[in-house]
This record gives sequence, C-alpha cells and structure tokens, in this order.
Amino acid sequence: MSILAYNGGAIIAMKGKNCVAIAADRRFGVQAQTISCDFDKIFEMGPHLYLGLPGLATDTITVMERLRFRLNLYELKEDRKIHPKTFSSMISNLLYEKRFGPYFVEPIVAGLDPVTFEPFVCNMDLIGCPNEPEDFVVGGTCTEQLYGMCEVLYEPNLEPDDLFETVSQALVNACDRDAISGWGAIVYIIEKDKVTIRHLKTRMD
Amino acid sequence: MIAQNTLKAQVSQNMAFLGEANRYSPFLAAQNDSFHSASYDLSANTLVPDIYGSQRSQAPLTTATSVVGLQFKDGVVIAADVLGSYGSLARFRNCQRIMKVNDNIILGAGGDYADFQYLKNIIEQKILEEECLDDGFSLKPKSLHCWLTRVMYNRRSKFDPFWNNFIIAGLEYGQPFMGTVDKLGTAYIDPVIATGYGAYMATPLLRKALESKPDLNKEEAIDILTKAMQVLFYRDARSFPKYQIGIISKEGIEIRGPLTLESNWELAHMIG
Amino acid sequence: MALLGGYSAGSFPDYEVQGAKKVHFSPYADNGGSVMAIAGEDYAIIAADSRLSTGFSIFTREQQKLFPLSNTTVLGCSGCWCDTLTLTRILQARMQMYKHEHHKELTTPATAQMLSTMLYYKRFFPYYISNILAGLDENGKGCVYSYDPIGHCERSNFRAGGSAGALLQPLLDNQIGYQNQEGVDKTPLPQDRALAILKDVFISAAERDIYTGDGIFINIITKDGIKADKFDLRKD
Repeated sequence: MSILAYNGGAIIAMKGKNCVAIAADRRFGVQAQTISCDFDKIFEMGPHLYLGLPGLATDTITVMERLRFRLNLYELKEDRKIHPKTFSSMISNLLYEKRFGPYFVEPIVAGLDPVTFEPFVCNMDLIGCPNEPEDFVVGGTCTEQLYGMCEVLYEPNLEPDDLFETVSQALVNACDRDAISGWGAIVYIIEKDKVTIRHLKTRMD
Repeated sequence: MIAQNTLKAQVSQNMAFLGEANRYSPFLAAQNDSFHSASYDLSANTLVPDIYGSQRSQAPLTTATSVVGLQFKDGVVIAADVLGSYGSLARFRNCQRIMKVNDNIILGAGGDYADFQYLKNIIEQKILEEECLDDGFSLKPKSLHCWLTRVMYNRRSKFDPFWNNFIIAGLEYGQPFMGTVDKLGTAYIDPVIATGYGAYMATPLLRKALESKPDLNKEEAIDILTKAMQVLFYRDARSFPKYQIGIISKEGIEIRGPLTLESNWELAHMIG
Repeated sequence: MALLGGYSAGSFPDYEVQGAKKVHFSPYADNGGSVMAIAGEDYAIIAADSRLSTGFSIFTREQQKLFPLSNTTVLGCSGCWCDTLTLTRILQARMQMYKHEHHKELTTPATAQMLSTMLYYKRFFPYYISNILAGLDENGKGCVYSYDPIGHCERSNFRAGGSAGALLQPLLDNQIGYQNQEGVDKTPLPQDRALAILKDVFISAAERDIYTGDGIFINIITKDGIKADKFDLRKD
C-alpha cells in the first residue's frame, strides 16, 4: 500500500461567489486502525489563507511547520500579507527541494486575494506540481469519490450557505465510501470579512 | 526427471486413444511434443513451466507487424506488409499474411508467423471439409470470427497463447463485416480496425476519413488504406515497403500484391 | 544466476546479453468501462458505457456491454473483455437450457445465484469482470445484484461498477439512497428521475475517467419487457 494512504484522510476546496470553502475529515489512523477523531489537516496560514495537507500525518505536521517558518520570514521581509498564488509557489518550491525523497503530502490551498478578495484554490502533487482550476480541488485517499461527487454537485457562483452545503455533501458522501477517511469533518467558509468554521457530525464506522 | 517422463508417457498414451479426430484440434496443446521437452533446449528465459510439468513457448519468434482494415459502402479492404521480422532483424521478405478463406471471407494476421501458418492450415482444412459436404452452405465471416475468438481464448486460458492479431473481413448476407481477435480472445467489430502500431498511427487517419465521408466507395477506401500503409512504413521500424491488399465486395475477392509503397526520404536528413 | 555464469561477480558486460529477453504474458487485459443499475418499485434501469479500450487506445466506440438474459433480466459487464465474452456466452447457453428443460424462464434472483456459482467455479483462475445484474424479482419489484470477480453477490437498489465505480457510487448513495440528507421523505424513485440521475452521473464520470465515454446503452426493464435506449457522452 502507498505510504500516502498510511494514515488516511480527505480534503476538498471549492470556489463560490466572493467566497471559498475548504473542508477535511478528522480521522487519524494507522492503516485500518483509527487512533483519534480530532486530527487537524487544515491550517490557518493567514486571515484569508488556509492550507490542507492530506497524506502521511507526520509529514502533514512537518510541512505545515516548515511552511509557517518560510511564511513568517516572507511576511517579515515584505511587511504585507502573502497572495495565495505566491504561497502556492512557496509550497511547490519546498516540495520540489525534496524531489528525490519527497514529503508524502498532496497540499491544497484555499484563500482570498488579500487585495481584491478574489477566490483562489490550488492543489499539487507530492513533488509540487501545481494545478489551479476555476472550480474545485480534491486530495487524499478518496479522490475518485470526491471527483465523482464534485463533478455533479458543483455549480459556479454559489453563495456561502449553498457552498457550505455542497462542500459538506461532497466530502461526507465521498468519505462514506472510503474505509480510511471520515470520523467527523470540519468545514471552513472563507469570506471577505468572516471565516465560518463548522464541525460536521458524520457516520463513525 | 524420471517421474516427469513417466507422466509424459502416460499423457501421450492417453492422447492416442483420442484418435484421429483431434489431430488438427487447436484446443489441445502439444503435451507430448518433443520439441517442447528436454531434448531441444531453448533458452530457459523464453519458457515457463505449466501445470503439466512441460514447458511452453512464451514468446513470438518470427513476427509480422500491423494489419489495417477499413469498411466501405459495399465491402471491406484490409492491408498488411509482407515482412517477417526476427526480433529487430528484417529476416523474411515475403511473408504473405492476407488469406482468402472462402468466397465471402478474407483474413489478415499479425504477430507470430508460425502460429498464423498453423491456424491457416486448420482453417483451410475446415473449409475443405465443409466443401466436401457440398450442401451449398459456406462459412460466414461472423462464424469464423466467433470461432477464432474461442480458439484464441482457450489457448490463452492454457497459458499457451497463439501470439496473433487477426482481422476477419467479409460479407454477411451481403452486408460488410469486419472484426478482430487478439491473443487473449478480445474480440470486437468496427468499421475501422488497426492492430499493433497501426492502432496508434493508422486508426486516427482511417477514423477521420470515414467520419468525413461515411459511405466511401472501393477506390476511395483503397486510397486511404494505402496512405495509412505509407505512414506506417515511414514510422514503424518493423514495417516494409512491400504489402498486400485484400478486397472483398459484391464483385468477389481480390488479393492484390505484393505491391510496392512509394516513399520519399529526401526530408529524412532534416529530422533528428 | 546461471546467466551470469561466464562473468565474475560484479562485472557485467557493457552490451546486451543474447537470449536474456523475456516476453511477459498476462492472460488478463483491462478493457475499462462502467456499469450502473437502479431498481425502482416496478422497474429496473441498467446502463453501461460503450467504450472498449486498453491503456491509451480505444478499440471501438460502440461496444454493447449489456446482455439481456431473459425478458426480465439484463447483465452489465466491465473489465476483461475476453472473459466477458466467454462468461456471457455460457450464461446465455445455460439460460436456454433451463428454458428448454423447465418450460419457463429463469427468474432474476435465480439467475443471480447461478452467476455467483459460475464465478466461484473459477475461483483460482477468475473471470476478471465487474458484473451488475438488473431485473425484476418474483413480485415484479425491481432488483439489482452486484458481484466481485470471484462470485460474492449482494442485492441492492442501486449500484455502480467498473472503472468509474468509485466516482459514481457515492453519488448514488446521496441522490438515491438519501444518505446524509435530513428531513427528506423517502418516496419511491420515479422512473424518469432515475433515468435523469443516471445520465447526469455518467456525464460526470466521463469528465474524469478516461476509460468511460463515447456513449451509454440503457436498458429499462418493466413487466412489459426491455426498452433499449442510447445516450451520447464525450468522445475524447
């Protein structure tokens, strides 16, 4: 089995009208054994910038911390907030530095432009090849299920409440068809002047 | 080793009881064939053991490349070159592999040439036996296609496949028919079929031609197929400028060739 | 090791050694394709895409992968095409044998059990096929049976299988099984809605799965017989 699927987990990010959503499951497990149901895979990297790191849990934490370090240096030096696109390049750089001994994470970035508040989503593979589509990105151990859900449920320019419903349904139903994802979920809805965090109750089996 | 030989002796004895009827049967593998046993030591790497303890051929030797075929308004044309390759060596320069089966079927083969010759013999025998019945019925392309599917599938199930790709073309109650079978027994029918490298290089050309003009006439179909053969000759390293074309239509069967492909290599020095 | 006999340890010739080639033979091929079936109160719908492929090449764009076995039973297959051809031919023969011996047609649940037995018979050299069987049961109610390649069988009301099975199934759970939905009245699914969902999810599957596309063949099974339909998908 792939080391990317050692701990399990699923993350999704989706664009809406002047808002963006990112959501993840809460499971931390070792192969089939579930260890805890309060593991964070999404991290706040700025007021409008969130980072999801599905994959090997140890690398999730390491990559998050190394990125936070680089981000702090950037913001001290530049004295301004980072653009999500710039931040994606920073992740891509960090990952490609380890091209031949990679971190086993497939990052997902969701955020709003710090100046224009334009929605932004991006994902990349474990060696940092970025992808910036105009609708949604998915990652983790049930990407196939997530793609199937998103392709049908997604529509452009959703209002924050509708975006929340769409993202939640896509994530939860996809996780229900994956043995190593689920056990609770968390959804972040990022708008210009507020971020709403919701915890979802899901099947626990 | 002794135990194995005893087993083989028993097997061959059992085979004798089966009698003449099975002499041409492709369903029975050569269990008592000395060629495959110890007396003739082929490289161990090309042979794998099977459930009977004998070893069977696992690699094609003399091979032929793509076969391409195209349906037109009231018939089918198929084409294949006449090269028999021995690995990368262009060894046999006149291996004809388009055969007339009977008055309404033609068959084209790619892959191992020996396997083709073996099956060709069986098919010819089949047709002969059928003609002896003299009942006015003759084998139709769909039936031969189906039969070949079973032959290929049964041999793949014994882990001893016939290493071929076949295109079966003909007229089924006056309607054009073209089907294919590979070494696993994977079979389908389609108005455009190309095997081997042809699947990558000829299919797009043929599909495009058929899409832009769905009811081609015979001459147009031949022109398109000849063009496809030329493209294959330019890019497939196991191809040859001499080829055959098999045409089946209401006027009957015609197998042309070996014909020679025109080619122009003046641009070649500018590539690479 | 015998191959290296002529060379001392660690020293290899810098050219290719003759006779060291091995052509690998696998009796299986992955020919792709997706199948999906939905059962309703008095009908069953089954659909399969029409693309037959291996790797990056498409063999044909109009391959029927639905096999009507009786007036009330249709089998959908995807996976190894040569196994599909063989299995369905044996199945059709056995359906006919039953008809002639018993002067009636085999029911869908009985066909489902027979298929399971036939698959398990080849437990150690399996038919590499994802099978989904749809039809009407003894009471005229729609039923769907799904299988793994070695004969595990389960009855359900909706199922997706094949190369896009993972993309399609969670959607069916949500849209037909009303999973994770609150306050919905679980009324029986009308036929036109089932058909609409089916087309929708196949369009979505064709977006992301390269082994699914070109078109779908649909069979709608009711007490009046089997109605066949066709629907185009993207061809790239």
